[in-house]
Amino acid sequence: MATKSRYPTGVRPLLAEETARRRRMESRFVDAFTGAGFAEVVLPIIDYVEPYAALVEPATAKQSYRFVDREGDLIAIRSDFTPMLARALAPAITPEDLPMRLFYRGDVIRVEASRLGANRELFQIGAEIVGDDSIDADVAMLRLAADLVRAPGDEPTVVYNDVSIAAALIAQSAPVREALAAKRMTAGVPAALQTIVAKLISGDATLSDVAPFAPEAAARLSAIEEAVAGDSIFTLHLDDIEDSGYYTGLRFRVYAGGARTKVAQGGRYDNLYERFGQRAAAIGFTFTIDDLD
Amino acid sequence: MRIAIPKGRLQEKALAVFANAGYDVPSEADLKTRKLVFERGGIEWIFVKDGDVPVYVEHGAADAGIAGLDQILEHECTAYQPVEFPFGHCRMMLIAAPGAPPLTKVATKYPRITRQFLDARGVHAEIVPLSGSVELAAVLNLTSHVVDLVETGETVRIHKLEMQEVVAEISPRLIVGKNFYRTEPKMVRELINRIEEKVLSS
Repeated sequence: MATKSRYPTGVRPLLAEETARRRRMESRFVDAFTGAGFAEVVLPIIDYVEPYAALVEPATAKQSYRFVDREGDLIAIRSDFTPMLARALAPAITPEDLPMRLFYRGDVIRVEASRLGANRELFQIGAEIVGDDSIDADVAMLRLAADLVRAPGDEPTVVYNDVSIAAALIAQSAPVREALAAKRMTAGVPAALQTIVAKLISGDATLSDVAPFAPEAAARLSAIEEAVAGDSIFTLHLDDIEDSGYYTGLRFRVYAGGARTKVAQGGRYDNLYERFGQRAAAIGFTFTIDDLD
Repeated sequence: MRIAIPKGRLQEKALAVFANAGYDVPSEADLKTRKLVFERGGIEWIFVKDGDVPVYVEHGAADAGIAGLDQILEHECTAYQPVEFPFGHCRMMLIAAPGAPPLTKVATKYPRITRQFLDARGVHAEIVPLSGSVELAAVLNLTSHVVDLVETGETVRIHKLEMQEVVAEISPRLIVGKNFYRTEPKMVRELINRIEEKVLSS
């Protein structure tokens, strides 16, 4: 039988050598998180689909493996830690418990049909600060994410932006989304927004250009920019609008040095906990360890 | 920087775009050799099948390239499309023999785009994926309909078929990989500016 020698697409065992390397990397991350005051939590590998239905976009929902359990409920295999942590934590905390620094690790499974050869079982380690909406928390998380992959002579690149800028423009006129996504001016963009959209597309936009449309985001980014000034690995990309999902503010990605491989991504999601019954600002990031191997 | 050039229909025009923008592109003599990778002016030019350009760029094996919207959509390529070119425009059409029965089977090189087109209309039909000479499927009654690119309409006329509906307006675009764009913004912007200045203004 042909299936005897192979595994389903996107999964494979790690034998001794690879496992040892994986565990070494993992313990480096765990040490760094523990040292920075983060405590570990363990989240279940499966959960009901229903609690997340309202906040997950249909395209993202399709990325999870789902099945009906023996009681007839729709269940999904973990595909994203962040909403699961919010659902687990929100009912268990009171405002006095905050802020909290937490981290988690484990596998997520994603069906990424369009990404040929992309792994489906991914080992991730992530950290979050819950209950702290300060710019200091933004800067701390940016720095922590960068430091995890920093090595002498092999500097990462951290690209950051605030998703609320594009959201504010798109709220004024839907065609802005298409223009920013393609990075090309389209006919549907109204005259009043053409200047700012053109500047964002060409990369010439500055914080003072976007301030009239998204004053709060511009002020925060300006403070972050000042805090990380002098460290050339951090780059502000105002034109970056990709996949906001549940993100509400700062959004960043970490690229490992040299190779243009994205190894981590994260951002701020200040409305997520509210959906599970407890208001709490939150910021976090996730490293996909498979991308670092 | 590595740039993917589509072989076939768009190859000559794609090379002209970069040549006009002042880039040192492989010469015709170069192309007569069987090499697929050329290093010119600090840029690595790779020549791949037109449908593979979005795949190379999506996965970062090439940093940028020129691809038709047909191939971009079919591969669900998420790369940026900063420049739309004024040449090579065509239409993706739903085609059938005159008096064809209602759409139940459709042959195409673009199963994904065709599926989305049918779903958007609530039409339930079977898709027969083919890799070329798609019109023959309708001529020989393999399927009632075909979805294919139409440039001049000559192929459709020769086979005595009819164009029924526009599936999509297709144009070639410069595509730039997201990770490349984020990590090398200066290089990307220079590329885009040089192409826009020289190509779109001429």
